[in-house]
Amino acid sequence: MIEAHDVSVKLAGKRIVSGIDFEAHPGEIAAIVGPNGSGKTTFLKALSGDLGYDGSVVINGREVSGMRPVEAAGMRAVLPQATSLAFPFTVQEIVRLGLIGGRSGVLAGENERLPERALAKVDLDGFAGRFYQELSGGEQQRVQLARVLCQVWAPVLDGRPRYLFLDEPVSSLDVKHQLIIMDIARDFAKRGGGVVTILHDLNLTAMYADRIFVMHRGSLAAAGTPAAVLSDSLIEKVFDCRMRVGVLPTGDVPFVLPQSVAL
Amino acid sequence: MVDHSIAGSSGLMARKAAGDRSARARLAIVLLAILLAAVALFSLTAGASDASAFDALRDWFSSSDAESVLSARDRIIIYDIRLPRVVLGALIGAALAVSGAVMQGLFRNPLADPGIVGVSAGAGLGAVSVIVLGGTALAPFTTLLGSMALPLAAFIGGLVTTLILYQVATRQGRTSVATMLLAGIALSALAMALTGVLIYMADDRQLRDLTFWQLGSLAGATWTKIGTAGPIMLIALVAMPFFARGLNALSLGEATAGHLGIQVQKLKYVAIAGVSAAVGASVAVSGGIGFVGIVVPHLLRLTIGPDNRYLLPASALLGATLLILADTVSRAIVAPAELPIGIITATVGGPFFLWILLRKRGVIDL
Repeated sequence: MIEAHDVSVKLAGKRIVSGIDFEAHPGEIAAIVGPNGSGKTTFLKALSGDLGYDGSVVINGREVSGMRPVEAAGMRAVLPQATSLAFPFTVQEIVRLGLIGGRSGVLAGENERLPERALAKVDLDGFAGRFYQELSGGEQQRVQLARVLCQVWAPVLDGRPRYLFLDEPVSSLDVKHQLIIMDIARDFAKRGGGVVTILHDLNLTAMYADRIFVMHRGSLAAAGTPAAVLSDSLIEKVFDCRMRVGVLPTGDVPFVLPQSVAL
Repeated sequence: MVDHSIAGSSGLMARKAAGDRSARARLAIVLLAILLAAVALFSLTAGASDASAFDALRDWFSSSDAESVLSARDRIIIYDIRLPRVVLGALIGAALAVSGAVMQGLFRNPLADPGIVGVSAGAGLGAVSVIVLGGTALAPFTTLLGSMALPLAAFIGGLVTTLILYQVATRQGRTSVATMLLAGIALSALAMALTGVLIYMADDRQLRDLTFWQLGSLAGATWTKIGTAGPIMLIALVAMPFFARGLNALSLGEATAGHLGIQVQKLKYVAIAGVSAAVGASVAVSGGIGFVGIVVPHLLRLTIGPDNRYLLPASALLGATLLILADTVSRAIVAPAELPIGIITATVGGPFFLWILLRKRGVIDL
């Protein structure tokens, strides 16, 4: 599992994230939500080992700041918010880069087929020969997810769960592909891996997340199950908006309907 | 002029997945190797002596001197004058082209080139310091290192320039193209100004050496020069393929390369040292030969794609071929005199560079 305790991050002398306690369990999707600038991405970068931090972040018993890149690469794969590409690679070549660490978790002979299978998962069958830079934003994001999936194809390796870190994985996708991507995340968790994802869509969060961490001005405003966390008062306080939180007649999944900007 | 045929390519590459250009790249490398051999042989036999390529080959493979098909004069011309030139040309061409490709991967930009961003100028400053001050201020350095002093000083000059450039142009893992080019211009200007001071201090004999050296020429190629600068270039050339995968990952950005398990900092330092060594050594023996580092990798990316596992060896082969060819032209075009090779590469490379800029207008935000 992932356990973060009292994590603070400073960027250029300014405290962006302070005192976050966080945990993510194998078999679950942990969602981080919060308004723009609340420190979500900075916190995820601390989990990924990109930024130095105070406090502790432990993945599968190992402190992140003490891990070599290759060791961390075997435990988690990271989908950034946006990826800029320097040279004209094909989709196939991009997705194959996910296999660089050599820890996909399938037999060596099967690696050859993984890019194709990953592309099929993200609904990009037949895109392997296209040039990445010619694709739409949403398609590029799905290509990057296919690359990330190749890196940790087996959700459990050598008896240890592995993790997907997704920073707004569905932000530029249409509804169908939002569901496809979130289903991939859920499937990864069901098979024993863990998912940590930043999301903006509270309804999608309510549908898919097992735990929600609500960030507000760099700190944790609330944490728990969607039903426990999503309330009118919390949302108004954190997002500065009036929303109506209800429960679908079919079950206990809450939904959130925006009403107006808070007065 | 990006090739759109890859998606549907079948037949020869039927077993390969769509978008996988590795088979094509391997074929290109084999063809380039054959081309290099052919051009080297042509260059060995082209010129004032009338020994044919066929004669030279027969001589090469004949077992004893007695049945030699070449005259003694032709043997000297081929083995002691032309062969060192061809070998040195190949080494320098390969070193410059691979250095260009590595720098472009490192800076994540197709416009990075040792000549453009000031690394060559920095290496030049190092070399000129040894030529002018070797007998006086730098005497301990030159006596200690002997013939290695010149390439080593060029290496140090190139290394210092690259490190400064990288520090200035990179913020939090992102390299700004505008800053890189502007910093390169500033560093070039500074290096050239200091070089100018040294030239001002030089005596008449040093001046003549300097002028020829600055224009870039393979005319002074000897086995001794190959012996001193060659190993440095060879080590750099042999080391560079080892970070091809890392450079591939780096094209997704430094953070993502790290997420994939690449030791990004280490990769950057080794690559910078390798480029500085290769460029420094080549500048030390042949002066400033521009544009090979930018033209060759760019041409290859258009045909075999940007995968550095293939791009680096292919760049070495094509760089070697082009420089030998340029040297052959430089010998022939105003025979029996010869034109400095740097003039040839700049005359061809300058317009080519402009063409890249025109094509990339709007694609690269400067």
